[in-house]
Amino acid sequence: MNKPGLKYGALLLLLAVVVYHSVYFKKLDEVKAKGARTQFDATAYADAFWKTKLLPATTKATDLNTLIQALKTDKDQAFAAHSNAMSIGNIRYFLVKGQGKITAVRDQDVTVSLTNGPDIIVATEYIFGNAARDASGLISLTEFTNTMDLNNVSAEINQIIRKRVVVPFKTSVKTGMEVEFTGAIELNQAHLHTEAIEVIPISIRSVGT
Amino acid sequence: MQISLQTYRPVILKFQSLIALLLLCITIGLLSDKFFTVANGWNVLRQISVNICISVGMTLVVLTAGIDLSVGSVLALSGAIAAGLLRNGIELPANNLYIGFTVFGAIVAGILTGSVLGWFNGWAITRFKLPPFVATLAMLTIARGLTMLWTEGFPITGLGDSFTFLGTGWFLGIPLPVWISGGIVLVTVLLMDQTRFGRYVYAIGGSESAARLSGVNINRIKIRVYTLAGALAAVGGLLVTSRLDSAQPNAGTSYELDSIAAVVIGGTSLSGGRGSILGTVQGAVIIGVLNNGLVLLNVSPFWQQVVKGIVILLAVIIDKSSTKGE
Repeated sequence: MNKPGLKYGALLLLLAVVVYHSVYFKKLDEVKAKGARTQFDATAYADAFWKTKLLPATTKATDLNTLIQALKTDKDQAFAAHSNAMSIGNIRYFLVKGQGKITAVRDQDVTVSLTNGPDIIVATEYIFGNAARDASGLISLTEFTNTMDLNNVSAEINQIIRKRVVVPFKTSVKTGMEVEFTGAIELNQAHLHTEAIEVIPISIRSVGT
Repeated sequence: MQISLQTYRPVILKFQSLIALLLLCITIGLLSDKFFTVANGWNVLRQISVNICISVGMTLVVLTAGIDLSVGSVLALSGAIAAGLLRNGIELPANNLYIGFTVFGAIVAGILTGSVLGWFNGWAITRFKLPPFVATLAMLTIARGLTMLWTEGFPITGLGDSFTFLGTGWFLGIPLPVWISGGIVLVTVLLMDQTRFGRYVYAIGGSESAARLSGVNINRIKIRVYTLAGALAAVGGLLVTSRLDSAQPNAGTSYELDSIAAVVIGGTSLSGGRGSILGTVQGAVIIGVLNNGLVLLNVSPFWQQVVKGIVILLAVIIDKSSTKGE
């Protein structure tokens, strides 16, 4: 064999070895079937979390009035005792409960004047973020193989809140109504503002007349 | 006997990068007790490994009096292609066929992507006589757009332990990325010092017309240089993707600036023909140590950019003044 022939032959052989070790072939329907079995189902996870973990956890939620007082007295201690978060940083979440009178109803939220406490906002339109997912501290980062799944869980929990909490509440809400609620709030430990607390509701119902 | 600064001028000029690095280390070490720790040392070396990969390729390009602004985007696309193929493979529904990629296959695909994009840069520059600045600026945008299309704007995650070992593993007590970047430096130094290709690269940068008259195939060498730069950017992309276990669509943004900074600080002339790979390595270490020191000293990220800009400016001014009259 002449020199160029040898050269191209060697190159072809090298290419064949590289391709052989680079790819493998399977039937697409088999791969898809296996993928469907192993794919993370954020909707099912969020539904189970909502029913078996988050709703039961609200019985142990911190009273919002008490929390606001604690934050004013000793911020760091209050954060250490009551907050949860999955990541490091100043943004942390609290699972809270409270009772009060609705003093204003708007398209996107309502103002609740807490019994013996300040006014707070309960969101009724823009339910976003990770507060509801992270406030209870019952979801562990190690349960997930990637951040997309974790983010999808947040989105699904927020969707549950929109459908199961916000929609029924908005049909009957009116100014002057006494309500009892549980929910999640997000606070910044470095830049704390207790005068503008917004609650993502987990449950909210009318009490009394 | 009177010894003046003038006596030591040639020595100072020869080792200016090393002297600057030494002074930088001493200053940061005095200001932060965490700087001279083994963990921080490995941290710095691991971080600069990516920049060294890119900067070695950039040095070759700059030695030919060119520039490659696309390395950051090429890095991102190469990493994303490798991650996407590893995670999702290729589906051919018409044939009911799934082509899966092994870790080796994904790495090969990533490097091939960088090489093809680099080759395209070189081809556009030589075929249409485009200024390298313009051609690679276009590639910067094209590759970034392709990355967004490929990833649909979302990170590709969950790449597996075998792949993440590339960016996070250790071998003989040294992080694997340090071995990889060290190997690249060694091979490129030999390529530049011991082969005809290396001499041609210097010749083209020194005087393109003289090189052409000497029979050097300018276009072929330039295309090879840009292809190599693309391939090395791809290696950087694989290291970043592997370290994060995730291909981020915005990975490598402004990496080209760190890379050019390393090349310039390392003493390579932007007008080509003069410089060295080892000088660039020193430049990359200086940039890495500077980044690390500014973080350790709790300097605001906004000020960090200002400081880095001033260091680059100083490096060029010193380089200009030291070569005055050459």
